Amino acid sequence: MRGPLPHPVTPAPGGGAATPVSETFQEVQRGGKKRGSYNCGRCGLPKKGHSCHIPKNATTTTPTATPSTDSAASSVAIPSPLSTVRPPPPPPHRQHFSNLRRALSFDDDIDARDSQDEGEDEEEHQEDEEELLELEPEPDLAGSGKLPMSCLWEVLRRLPPPALLSAARVCKGWRDTSKRLWRAAEELRLRVPAKAQIGFVGSVLHKCPGLVRLSLRMESDVDATMLACIAFSCPNLETMEIFTSDTSINRITGDELGRFVADKRCLTSIKMEGCSNLGGLVLCSTSLSTIWLSDLQCLAKIVFSCPNLTEISLNFSRQENDSTDLTTMVSSLGRTCPRLENIHIASLRLSHTVVLALTDANLRGLRMLSLVLGSEITDASVAAIASSYSNLELLDLSGSGISDSGIGMICNVFPETLSRLLLALCPNITSSGIQFAAAQLPLLELMDCGMSICDPNSKGSSSLERNEGDLQKTLNNTMHIIYQKLIIKHSRLKKLSLWGCSGLDALHLNCPELNDLNLNCCKNLHPERLLLQCPNLESVHATGCQDMLVDTIQSQMCSDYTAVDSLVPCKRLPDGSKRVQAPHFSPKPSGDEKIWKRASKRHCTVFLNS
Amino acid sequence: MIVLNSSDGATFEVEESVAVQSQTIKHMIEDNCADTSIPLPNVNGVTLARVLEYIKKHAEAKDDEEGLKSFDAEFVKVDQASLFEIILAANYLDIKGLLDLTCQTVADQIKDLTVEEVRAIFNIMNDFTPEEEAKLRNDHAWAFE
Repeated sequence: MRGPLPHPVTPAPGGGAATPVSETFQEVQRGGKKRGSYNCGRCGLPKKGHSCHIPKNATTTTPTATPSTDSAASSVAIPSPLSTVRPPPPPPHRQHFSNLRRALSFDDDIDARDSQDEGEDEEEHQEDEEELLELEPEPDLAGSGKLPMSCLWEVLRRLPPPALLSAARVCKGWRDTSKRLWRAAEELRLRVPAKAQIGFVGSVLHKCPGLVRLSLRMESDVDATMLACIAFSCPNLETMEIFTSDTSINRITGDELGRFVADKRCLTSIKMEGCSNLGGLVLCSTSLSTIWLSDLQCLAKIVFSCPNLTEISLNFSRQENDSTDLTTMVSSLGRTCPRLENIHIASLRLSHTVVLALTDANLRGLRMLSLVLGSEITDASVAAIASSYSNLELLDLSGSGISDSGIGMICNVFPETLSRLLLALCPNITSSGIQFAAAQLPLLELMDCGMSICDPNSKGSSSLERNEGDLQKTLNNTMHIIYQKLIIKHSRLKKLSLWGCSGLDALHLNCPELNDLNLNCCKNLHPERLLLQCPNLESVHATGCQDMLVDTIQSQMCSDYTAVDSLVPCKRLPDGSKRVQAPHFSPKPSGDEKIWKRASKRHCTVFLNS
Repeated sequence: MIVLNSSDGATFEVEESVAVQSQTIKHMIEDNCADTSIPLPNVNGVTLARVLEYIKKHAEAKDDEEGLKSFDAEFVKVDQASLFEIILAANYLDIKGLLDLTCQTVADQIKDLTVEEVRAIFNIMNDFTPEEEAKLRNDHAWAFE
């Protein structure tokens, strides 16, 4: 009975006929790629078609280090040419970035796909595959659990980094495969635990010199030694993200970051949280195209000298006395980064002067502009923006002081391009302004009009929601004493947020494309004055609404379909949300049972405990 | 209709439109190697039957996401040896979806196991010297606080 053999079947004894095939293999593989060693470690001959009779020295582990030459056990079937030369499938590149506490993400909000990426395993490990010499599986492997290198590769590459590190300890073959995996790794997402030392990250980074995208979730403090480590280990790095957490402090200073960026010639994207210790920042780079920095405060000097910069996001911490000179910063942005397309600045100190500096900057490619939390932004600012940048696709002036006439200006200038309009926490706008916007902006797909103050403890569940609870200002609530009504009919609107609009008591929506509706904390929305004619609605967020409202929503969702099942199952899920099945109208009604069953069921989920 | 012959002589018929989910078979058909039947010496009858079950289901219920998900979940509820056989077959036949599914299943199974447990499942010998083992363990000790 043959005992367990070393794994995988690397030194494969076979007939002499196998040897010439090995040459064919190596040529047939895509040339030019780096490969591991295919020579037997003991005698130096190529492993393929080779049986090694040199016993291992100094091994005290149980025998069979030398593979037995029983042909039954390990003969390699002469492979048919077609089977072995397949290119390994490229892995799905999941480029997801969790929101850095930004007001919005410049990624397409409309795409519901993004939401699945939140809260997933942070320790994922995905990489491109190296092309490997495929070894044929043995015909009678059943029960022995051996996998050839390529299958082992497929399994191991789906492991999170800690599991992969541990897999290296199983046996030599696994160690070698995992080493190759690390070397081939292009993307690494790592969670660095609170007690980890720099050595941990250093040793992991050392294994993947080909790293192109790095994402670190720091639960321990991070400082310039981390940057040095990254700079040293990852020469080809293009994307770097450093997320912090409640337990970690980011001690990187502006000088250190500036040096890091200047030295890395291929760096195109950098995202960093917790940047409270920067002090000042001068970033010079011709390769950078995306910069996201959050928790900034009191920056003495900010210069971005990045001619290829297309996207910048600066989130300042919500301190009243932040001394950063935003005006100077914005004017210099215009001079040094002429290619900017997306700008996001969140700061309490945003004002009309800053907007004027921005409009003077003449950024011809500007398509997305987001200036949030600036209560001193006024209708005059809107006029300035509208006159300088008439091609905006996204405009976010949440937290500003604009009024309905500002909306009027927006509708005058941007109807042909604007698809996303965010005006949350704007106390001076009314439902007529919103209705006007909906009527005048035919391309609108996303509108956020969360209007009133929210409870600091509640967070909206839609990806639009931000942590507005941090705002300490009390908005003027007098206008909400007279309740308002909102009627929106729009053919393209996909996402609508009326979060916190406690001044609304009636809502009528006729939006055939609407997917997501946020009515959190619409406390005064009256169930009898709610009419939803939105057949594609998939999620409704209704935390903090009246119970009767929830029932009304559900019944309206169901009543659109006079389908075969009259009893639509509705069950309450453990998290409190109700899942209502709304059967989808089969476009080709037929008597065929099978087709009916396969028709997709649309679920409209009402979120109650978000 | 395509005829497939497993390693142990069993014969299976399957529609060409279904069979081309296997890139290997697809290439064979394109290269005209498949006039009478396609021999698959690396896949035994039992495994080939299971693989065909998978590709048939995925061909006919292509749009039924939920149905496929539950089918997949049930499909991988087999013993270890069979699962490995299916992986090997999916690898050989180059059926991406099946390979993804099975490899992910195995990865999920082993990701929380200790090294000894993994060895037991895969029936693998520990071929490290004690020094090598100690070195490997120390290298990443801090990863496993």
